[in-house]
Amino acid sequence: MSRAVNRTVNRTVNRMKLCGLLLLAAATTLAACGKKDERAPAPPEKPVFSVLATSDLKDALPLEEMVEKATGVRLRFTFGGTMESTEAVLSASTPAHAAWFANAKYLLSDPYGQGRVKLQEKIMLSPITVGVSQTTARRLGWDDPATAAKVGWKEITKAAAEGKLSYALSNPATSNQGFMALMGVVAAASNKAEALTAADVDRGAIAGFLKGYKLPGDNSTYLSEKFIEQQGTQAGQVNSFINYESWLLSLNNSGKLREKLVLVYPNEGVSTADYPFMLLKEDRRDDYQKVVAYLKSPEAQKWLARQTLRRPINGEVATGVADLFPKEGMRVELPFSPDRQLADGLIDAYLNEFRRPIASTFVLDTSGSMDGQGRRQQLVQALHYVAGADSSLTGRLAKLTSRERVWMLPFSDQPWRMTYFELPRGNPQARGVQVQEDSAAKQAVLAEVRAYADGLRMTGGTALYDSVLAALQHMLEQKQKNPNYQYSVVAFTDGENTKGRSLQQFQQAYAALPEDVRGIPVFMVLFGEAKEADLKALVQTTGGKVFDARKMPLYAVFKDIRAYQ
Amino acid sequence: MSKTSKVLLTLVLLAGFAAALYFALRGQKAAVAEASLGPATELKGVISLDVEPFFKDERVRKILADNRLPVSVTRVGSREMAAKVVAGQMPDFLFPSGVVAANQVSDAARKAGVPVAQSSPFHTPMVIASWTPIAGILVANGMARPLGDRTYGLDMAQLTQAMLAKKRWKDLKGASAYDVSRSVLVSTTDVRRSNSAAMYLALTSYAVHGDVVTDRGTAVPLATRLAELFKRQGYQENYVNGNFDDYVAIGIGKTPMAFIYENQLVAYALDKKGVGADMVLLYPQPTIVNKVVFIAASERARALADLLGRHAELQRIAVSYGFRVADTGVFTQAIKPTGLAVEERITQVIDPPSFELMAEMIEVVTKEMAQ
Repeated sequence: MSRAVNRTVNRTVNRMKLCGLLLLAAATTLAACGKKDERAPAPPEKPVFSVLATSDLKDALPLEEMVEKATGVRLRFTFGGTMESTEAVLSASTPAHAAWFANAKYLLSDPYGQGRVKLQEKIMLSPITVGVSQTTARRLGWDDPATAAKVGWKEITKAAAEGKLSYALSNPATSNQGFMALMGVVAAASNKAEALTAADVDRGAIAGFLKGYKLPGDNSTYLSEKFIEQQGTQAGQVNSFINYESWLLSLNNSGKLREKLVLVYPNEGVSTADYPFMLLKEDRRDDYQKVVAYLKSPEAQKWLARQTLRRPINGEVATGVADLFPKEGMRVELPFSPDRQLADGLIDAYLNEFRRPIASTFVLDTSGSMDGQGRRQQLVQALHYVAGADSSLTGRLAKLTSRERVWMLPFSDQPWRMTYFELPRGNPQARGVQVQEDSAAKQAVLAEVRAYADGLRMTGGTALYDSVLAALQHMLEQKQKNPNYQYSVVAFTDGENTKGRSLQQFQQAYAALPEDVRGIPVFMVLFGEAKEADLKALVQTTGGKVFDARKMPLYAVFKDIRAYQ
Repeated sequence: MSKTSKVLLTLVLLAGFAAALYFALRGQKAAVAEASLGPATELKGVISLDVEPFFKDERVRKILADNRLPVSVTRVGSREMAAKVVAGQMPDFLFPSGVVAANQVSDAARKAGVPVAQSSPFHTPMVIASWTPIAGILVANGMARPLGDRTYGLDMAQLTQAMLAKKRWKDLKGASAYDVSRSVLVSTTDVRRSNSAAMYLALTSYAVHGDVVTDRGTAVPLATRLAELFKRQGYQENYVNGNFDDYVAIGIGKTPMAFIYENQLVAYALDKKGVGADMVLLYPQPTIVNKVVFIAASERARALADLLGRHAELQRIAVSYGFRVADTGVFTQAIKPTGLAVEERITQVIDPPSFELMAEMIEVVTKEMAQ
């Protein structure tokens, strides 16, 4: 805001100076400096140099201003998960001029990806490490550096399987940290030194490791907030955080943790993010080169090291800031397998077989106002999307997974009758992983969901809060019967509440529910101009998030919801 | 106006005309002199990344301009250069990295009926950048021997055998300094994209075959066998400095042995005025000397080739980018202050197989890697 104001002021001052000079030169130009000039359109802004960055780079946002100041290039970031960003570059669907990923190895090992990336340059480094709360580290003996040096993914898997390690981690299906942690586990368990294939995947190791996965999320910012809230030392509480070294060091320095994290670098090998900055649009080569030169300059490298705690790629700067980083011994790098079958198989198996299965109630607004402005169609489209046949990576992420349970709860003047759908379990292989085609049984359930959506009719008022409350109560009952599922409520609505409980009454009723309800978030998918403030207040009470389906593509909405589920 | 002032005015005007005439004539004379020398138009060149910093160097630009041979260059991958050979649209010169690419260009020129001349003003041997503990393990296992202070001769036949036998570092004798379950492998760039990885393929094929491969019957099965040396590395960097950047920035944990051009580490040492204390160079025995081959396709480009080969200052500047030049003394003198140990004389040198065979071997490896 203030930057924009400054720019306008500068421009006005410059124009005044210019008029002064012209006045001196010739009196005839006076007219041009009169009122007419004041109304003349401002010179066009410099074109933006847009950079698609992975979301763990959100802490580097101040670089927008720094780069512009140092180079004149108007750099602007947009953020996304690693997997979706990789897909966006591969399919040339991103308009960005450049991309900056923590890890671009999938992109760069693909012939199409190589063709899309015109130039590349590594900017900084951060290994993926395991941060263990001091008490837990002491219990495991990992607070002793000599012991910690011998801890590998095998020991981490064992501790997780035995319930000793409960960790926060971003979604293995969408993020580099999550995925590379799984790869570390798989590589260590396979006993193979390299060239891991989908058939080598040790299913028992994945299952054991994921027993400790207690705090899921979509990005490091969210996970850090939640980790600060939930870090504990009791059994079942989250006591560890698997993430880039940079985020863990930042948390340790934040002063917000109950206890500091001991950083463990798995000894079979870590995966180091090397942050290649990549040119996508040839016609912005000059801007790209200016930005890279700046990012690799001592000024930017020092800033990145001090503010974001990533290791500089510039060796001289690295020596100067070595004190910021732990002095662990040699870090062995996990060889990166570019095998797509392995990656796709692992993600597919994670979603459909290994992750804690999802159970949710979809609260569907079928009030009369949903008939207008194509809102009904939007709702039907959303349900078709999650029950669809989109087999792209992004489609698979949004889609209902094997073992998933969904109750549809339509409402208008009051909550109506629920309809239950359960996606059948797949036929897991005895060994290894691979992408499984939908079985006939699964396809049949997906078709039923789509038919259900087609049959929705809109009429009556909007008893939104009554219906969300009913859904929460239903999820609570289910959770008591089946604690192994991950429960949530997803409400699709357009309008403000016109029937039944008010927001305040809802909040009172919510407070009276058993403590267990706290673990059940409510996601609001917004189609119309509902009272957004009220919906936000609701999710503030229940936990969860509001998504504006008018501004976000459906994929993005569901990818986000999935990550928190 | 008085008579005197009229005279004065006339004089002033005359003086003015005279001056104008003088300056006009003088200008014309200068222009005539210029024309007799001929305009120094820029030579158009297509160059590899290796020599791009050299041509960007202000000192080089000045010397070339002073010698009326200014250049305008475009960087193109060495393997893509042969495609630039089109009769009627030829650049003045091409400057690919490596004789394989150079022969490909010359061959294309011959087919297009364009006469060209090759010369090699700069060169650099293929080496393996490594670390003192790794060199120690290799020596203990008979795969290397010390050549001098912190330089080692690498027995490529022994090393290749160990790699093909899928040895892990921790399986080797005296491996306590690198007690790691990773396989013994040399890191290279992506063979599908880069010349240095192709040279690695040439060296390992010699190591297994015991001689330079000269026929398809040997080349195809050999490349099939050697493909695993690339495939087993997992992801390979596909830009020329990627592998070297990992060696310098991430270090021994990721890159115990990196197959590089010697000039990469030398240029780094000269730029940083030193190298890490435990960084050492292993010289494969035999090795391939990578020549940057200047291919002149015009008369003035031939003059430029001549200048690059004999101009002492240009040669010194090339050395500052890590290249070796005809006079080895210039090279070793320049490096001495950095503390980087290099082997002064490279004795065992082989040629890579012909470019047709190399292309075929690369294709075989590419196919194997896709499986």
